[in-house]
Amino acid sequence: MILPKFEYHEPTSIGEACDLLAHHGGKARPLAGGTDLLVNMKKKALCPERLISLGRIPELAQVERSNGTLRIGAGVTVSAIASSATVARSVSALGQGARALGTPLIRNLATIGGNIGSARPAADLPPALLVYEAALVLRSAAGERRLAINEFFKGPGLTAAREDELIAAIVIPVPSGYAGAGYLNLGVRKAQDCNIVNVASFLELDERAESIRAARVALGSVGPTPLRSPSAEKTLVGQKPTEALFEQAADAATRDCTPILDFRGSAQYRRDMVGVLTRRTLAMALTEARSRN
Amino acid sequence: MKQLIRLTVNEREYEVAVEANTTLVDLLRYQLGLTGTKKGCDLGDCGACTVLMDGKAVNSCLVLAVQAGGRTVQTIEGLETAGGLHPLQQAFIEKGAIQCGFCSSGMILSAKELLDGTPHPDEPEIRRAISGNLCRCTGYQKIIEAIKEAAR
Repeated sequence: MILPKFEYHEPTSIGEACDLLAHHGGKARPLAGGTDLLVNMKKKALCPERLISLGRIPELAQVERSNGTLRIGAGVTVSAIASSATVARSVSALGQGARALGTPLIRNLATIGGNIGSARPAADLPPALLVYEAALVLRSAAGERRLAINEFFKGPGLTAAREDELIAAIVIPVPSGYAGAGYLNLGVRKAQDCNIVNVASFLELDERAESIRAARVALGSVGPTPLRSPSAEKTLVGQKPTEALFEQAADAATRDCTPILDFRGSAQYRRDMVGVLTRRTLAMALTEARSRN
Repeated sequence: MKQLIRLTVNEREYEVAVEANTTLVDLLRYQLGLTGTKKGCDLGDCGACTVLMDGKAVNSCLVLAVQAGGRTVQTIEGLETAGGLHPLQQAFIEKGAIQCGFCSSGMILSAKELLDGTPHPDEPEIRRAISGNLCRCTGYQKIIEAIKEAAR
C-alpha cells in the first residue's frame, strides 16, 4: 500500500511545531505514533499535504509528578504509560487502559496524545482520563489554554481543538484519600481489537472509608464520543458502597448510552455489557479505595 | 524530494536518501536489501514487519523511514553472530516453531524484546508479548514452547 505524497517537517520544539501548524493551517497534520494517521493515509481516507512529526520534541516525552498532579507529555508512548510505576501507583486505571490498547508493537509507537486527539469513540485511554477529570494543555502559536477532557470530544474524529492547536500535555489531578478507580474493556479478542464496550469507574470514600463522597463513571464505544454517566454517578454519591448499590448504578449506566449495532455486537448486547463492566469496575475502584490509608 | 538520513541497521551505519512517504519496511527491504523483514498487511495488524527500533519492537510499516533517522534498528539478519544462530532462532528450529516462515522474523524479534527485559517470562507474559504477531500455521503452541526453551 502506497502512502500518498506529502511534505515532511521535523520540528524540535513545541513552539516550532505550533508555528508550522499556524503557517500551513488545515493542510498540515501532526504525526505522533502514526498508528492511526498512517493507516488512514494508506487507505487514502486522509491525504494531508504536510506532516509535522512530533517525534523529535523532547518536552513532549516527559512525565512529571508535582503538587498533587501528574503531567504526561502528549508524546509519551502507551507502552511507557503501561509500564510506569508512577502511573500504576497514582492513576492505576490509566495504566490498565494503556495495557489494554492494541498490541505490544502498537503500544511501542502509539502516544497518549494521539489516542486522545484521534477521538475514536472506542479508544482505550479516554474513559480513565474522564473519571480522573484530566485536563488537556492545548498549545498554538497564539498561546496556551487548558480544556477539561470532558469538553474535548465532539464526535468520531472530531474535537474541540482548533486546526492550529496541538495537545502538548495531559494534566491529571492525583486522587488522594480513600480513592480508587478501575478500567475494563471487552472485545472479540484480547489484543489487536476494537472494543465492543470499555468502562472506567472512580470512587472516593469519606474520611472513615464508609460512604461514597464522589463517583465518576465513563463509558466508551457506546456513543459518538466517550461519555460520562450522570445517572450512575448520581445513584452512587452519598450512599454506602454495596453490591446492590453497584447493581443499581450499573443499571443506570445502561440508560445513559446510545450504542450502535454492528458486526461486533448488537446494541442490546453492548447495553448489557455496559452494565456488567460498570459493576465490575466499581468493584475494582472500591477495592483500590479501601486499600489506601 | 528525497531526504538524506543516517541510521544504524544491525550495527552497520547507513546514509540513504529516502522519499518522505517511504516506510521503514520498504527502506529495509527495497533499498537496503534486507528482505528477512516481511511485509504482510502493511497496516499494523499482522506483525510480519516487526523490527526493533532503539530496542523496542515496532511495526516497521507504521514508521516512516525519515522517522528512523538517527535511530538504531535491528532486523532478523542482525541476530546471528560468528558464534552461530541466536538462541531464539535455534529454539524456533528445534521446537518446530517455523512452518511457512512468514511470521518467524517478527515473532522472534517480539520475543527478543521480551527476553531482553524479562529473561525468564511466564507463559502469560510470552503470550502477551507475541499478541501483535499473527501466525496462520502453527497455532502458536510451538512458538510459545520455543520462546520458553530459549529463555531456559
